[in-house]
Amino acid sequence: MKSRQLGWDALGIAVFVVMVFPVFWMISTAFKPNDLIVSLTPTWIPLHPTLDHFTDAIHRPYFWADVKNSLIIVCVTVALSIALAFLAAIALARFGFAGRKLFVVLVIGIQMLPQAGLIIPLYVVLARYHQVNTLTGVIVTYMTFVLPFSVWTLRGFLLGIPKELEEAAMVDGSTRVGVFVKILLPLMGPGLVATSVFAFITTWNEYIFARILLNDQSKQTVTVWLSYFYSTNRHTDWGALMAASTLTAVPVVVFFLLVQRRIAFGLTSGAVRG
Amino acid sequence: MPYALIAPVVVTIALILGYPLYFLVRLSLQQYGLFELIRHQGVGVGLANYRSVLHDQIFWHTLVRTIVFTAANVALTMVLGLLIALLLVQVSRPVRVLLSSGLVLVWSMPVVVAVQVWYWMTNFENGVVNYVLTQLHLGSFEQHDWYASTFSQLSMVTLLIVWGALPFVAITLYAGLAQVPPDLLEAASVDGAGAWMKFRDITLPILRPILLILTSLSIIWDFGVFTQPYLLIGQSKVTPGNFLMSIYLFEEGYFKSDYGRGAAISLLMLAIVGVLSIVYVRRMVRIGVET
Amino acid sequence: MKRRSIAALLLVTVVAAAVAATTSGATKKANASSITVWLQTDAQSGWADLVASVNQKFQADHPGTTVNIQYQGWGDHLQKFDATLAGGGGPDVIEMGNTEMTKYMAAGAFADLSPAKSGFDNSGSWLKGLAASGVYKGKTYGVPYYAGSRVVTYRSDLFKKAGISKLPNSTAAYTADAKKILAKNAKKGFSPIYIAGTDWYFGMSFVFDYGGGIATQVSGKWKGLLTSPKSIAGLTAYKNFFAATSRASKTTDETHPNPYDVYAQGQAASMIGPSWFSCCVGAKYKGSTAQFVMPGHVAGTSMPGFLGGSDLAVPITSSQKALATDWIKDFTSSSSEKTLQAKGNIPNATNLLGNSVNERAASRSWFVPTAKHWVDVENGNILRNMLAQILTGKLSVKQAAQSASDNIASVLNQP
Repeated sequence: MKSRQLGWDALGIAVFVVMVFPVFWMISTAFKPNDLIVSLTPTWIPLHPTLDHFTDAIHRPYFWADVKNSLIIVCVTVALSIALAFLAAIALARFGFAGRKLFVVLVIGIQMLPQAGLIIPLYVVLARYHQVNTLTGVIVTYMTFVLPFSVWTLRGFLLGIPKELEEAAMVDGSTRVGVFVKILLPLMGPGLVATSVFAFITTWNEYIFARILLNDQSKQTVTVWLSYFYSTNRHTDWGALMAASTLTAVPVVVFFLLVQRRIAFGLTSGAVRG
Repeated sequence: MPYALIAPVVVTIALILGYPLYFLVRLSLQQYGLFELIRHQGVGVGLANYRSVLHDQIFWHTLVRTIVFTAANVALTMVLGLLIALLLVQVSRPVRVLLSSGLVLVWSMPVVVAVQVWYWMTNFENGVVNYVLTQLHLGSFEQHDWYASTFSQLSMVTLLIVWGALPFVAITLYAGLAQVPPDLLEAASVDGAGAWMKFRDITLPILRPILLILTSLSIIWDFGVFTQPYLLIGQSKVTPGNFLMSIYLFEEGYFKSDYGRGAAISLLMLAIVGVLSIVYVRRMVRIGVET
Repeated sequence: MKRRSIAALLLVTVVAAAVAATTSGATKKANASSITVWLQTDAQSGWADLVASVNQKFQADHPGTTVNIQYQGWGDHLQKFDATLAGGGGPDVIEMGNTEMTKYMAAGAFADLSPAKSGFDNSGSWLKGLAASGVYKGKTYGVPYYAGSRVVTYRSDLFKKAGISKLPNSTAAYTADAKKILAKNAKKGFSPIYIAGTDWYFGMSFVFDYGGGIATQVSGKWKGLLTSPKSIAGLTAYKNFFAATSRASKTTDETHPNPYDVYAQGQAASMIGPSWFSCCVGAKYKGSTAQFVMPGHVAGTSMPGFLGGSDLAVPITSSQKALATDWIKDFTSSSSEKTLQAKGNIPNATNLLGNSVNERAASRSWFVPTAKHWVDVENGNILRNMLAQILTGKLSVKQAAQSASDNIASVLNQP
């Protein structure tokens, strides 16, 4: 048995290495002195790593302000979107009601629209609401992009939970809210987490709408901050860009490590019995 | 009750996207370039924009190319994603945290940076890929240009996109697998069922809704993907010969500042993606109704 | 039917949102005494102190007015500009690349600055190439900001080792020098002169050096010039020059890879590009790097270089056009231009020109046809493809030039 487990683990590590290699390359480049970055023969790990790129990146204007903005925008967007999407997903998965098909079409249809076409119309609308150059304008915009797939994905997870569980609980005298809290919520743990991770990453990395909607550098997000590294007509400081990108990836990984335990196996054990 | 549940979502989407959608449809029926944009006034031309796009040979060639591209991307993403999800179930806890964190690291890389790293890895001058392949004696890959032909360009783009898409699919499927009651699986083992039978009869039905959703989402996203192909192939090498639909839209709509035409192409893309994913979407909708 | 009424309800919601959006009035106007200026990130990283001092002076001259500088990126500043043209909230001053101007001037995006032209420092001696990019149908819409030309950046140590005692004064002499360098440096992939095959900024210089051109307007219609004998001579000269001196890819552009990266790896003895290339040659070669003006085919002349640069314009949507014009006056004043010059740029007027390699190279320059649809020619990579076809031998010079010329004419002649 043990060797079988080792076999799987070895495969897991191999997959890890292959998948993470480009990220490793990014991080390794962040520590390389400039001449190693462009050298003819690739260097895997720099012999004399330097922290210069990181200090350079942090000292670029508005780093901390933009990180703060990103965190605010992303956390509010994810919290609100997951909450609202969950409610809507319950409606879709558990109720039959007129207009249901239309709602589904709306949810899917929104995602099928190429975003490029929406940039100018969206800007015009937000300008009328006086929401240009505001964090709330960006939050609301992001919510409209996150809600559809969140509803869609959460509905899928909900459909995986047999209705019998809820019905059994109701028969046992539980209220609708009780069913929600004691049965649905725990079973939806993995689904909710996976969807919020996705929402977090998508909004954290979103660029073009943040660029168009936010004017003051003090209000911009970290992806816009990152774009200053490569939007110049002159040469791009790759070391600094890689260091900056590594820094911007940190919150995402931290968030994931905090929540990943909820995607645990065996949450449903014992639920189907009896 | 259900209306109260869906109301917040509907209101939010309607408030923000309502006007843009209406505006987009109106734009598609107008002659609307930079000149008209400045004056906020377009000239109504009926279906002329649509007719011009549908008569454009480049549109049809691009459409076919994009459909093939999408099929390849979605197939690879879903198969590999499912395999990685199953692997996540099998490995021991520390490796699971390692692998899933690695996947999230991949996921969290900004696209622009990922493209640049991919370029560094695959460029013919000093790319690591050529170096490693040559060292492994798999042939002489020194100075091999991975971007020489349209097929190889789009293959590189496919690899990049699939690599970037695997984390979401793998982690979501893993979350889906977490919903499979292990007691059911144990009971089936006791009854003598093999791994494949257990997968087919127990796991797959529970996973089906999520698989369908992920497939439909993948189709939608891969059909409209823009940043990766545009940046990786490079503005100077993007030609009608290797256009993808989103690049076609960008070139025809934004770059030429022909917003009317761009709107028409956007709506056509919407319709096409709708048709492409209808099979999966229908099945998804039906699953909900059956319960 | 219940379904219908739900659909109607959703539809009404959407329409209501649309109506509300269109009737809730214009965007809140910026504070009456403040102007918004869009400059590119190059200014933030290169001469932020100049911007600050100009703002200080401006605010002192106009008490109560604040200047709000917003730095933009080259990749998407036009997309953002378009959005503000449609929805309001745009800048009062915008920096535009000189090749970006014509399309917007033709669409009426900018205010006419002709009446105020004499108020700008040195407007009588503005660099011809740069000033032309800001003029449309006789009216001035753009004020030249700064320019950049193309020079040769080279390894003086490698030149010395190859026995080259004086810098070449003609392309023929340079080609001969390149052969000497190649003899002493037979490394794989080493280029005596690194030129990317489809670097049309350099390739077209040959065309202009021989007296040819890209396109010209004849009674309102654009006619391609690439098939003229002079242009053909120039293209042929480029083909031969490339074959003798560069081992770069024939089909890739000047950013894949960056010439200075190739140089820093020790794979090039010289490269042709903007003067700022010297920033990134690597610590190893920094000491032995110098620059000279690219010679033309006639001994003693310089090859016309592509004059890149930026203009400053006032969008038509600005509500502070007078203040905006004043700010531009301050930012392009003689003293301001001198500071830009000190930072390695070419100032906007001939009477300010100094003796740096960059500025001497600008004495003979060329610019793209000022046509509304020129950006489409660039975006369609017509010239790049032509060069690739010529260099790879896929098409003869005449054939490639013919197809490119026809293509360009049809694109430029679009309504």
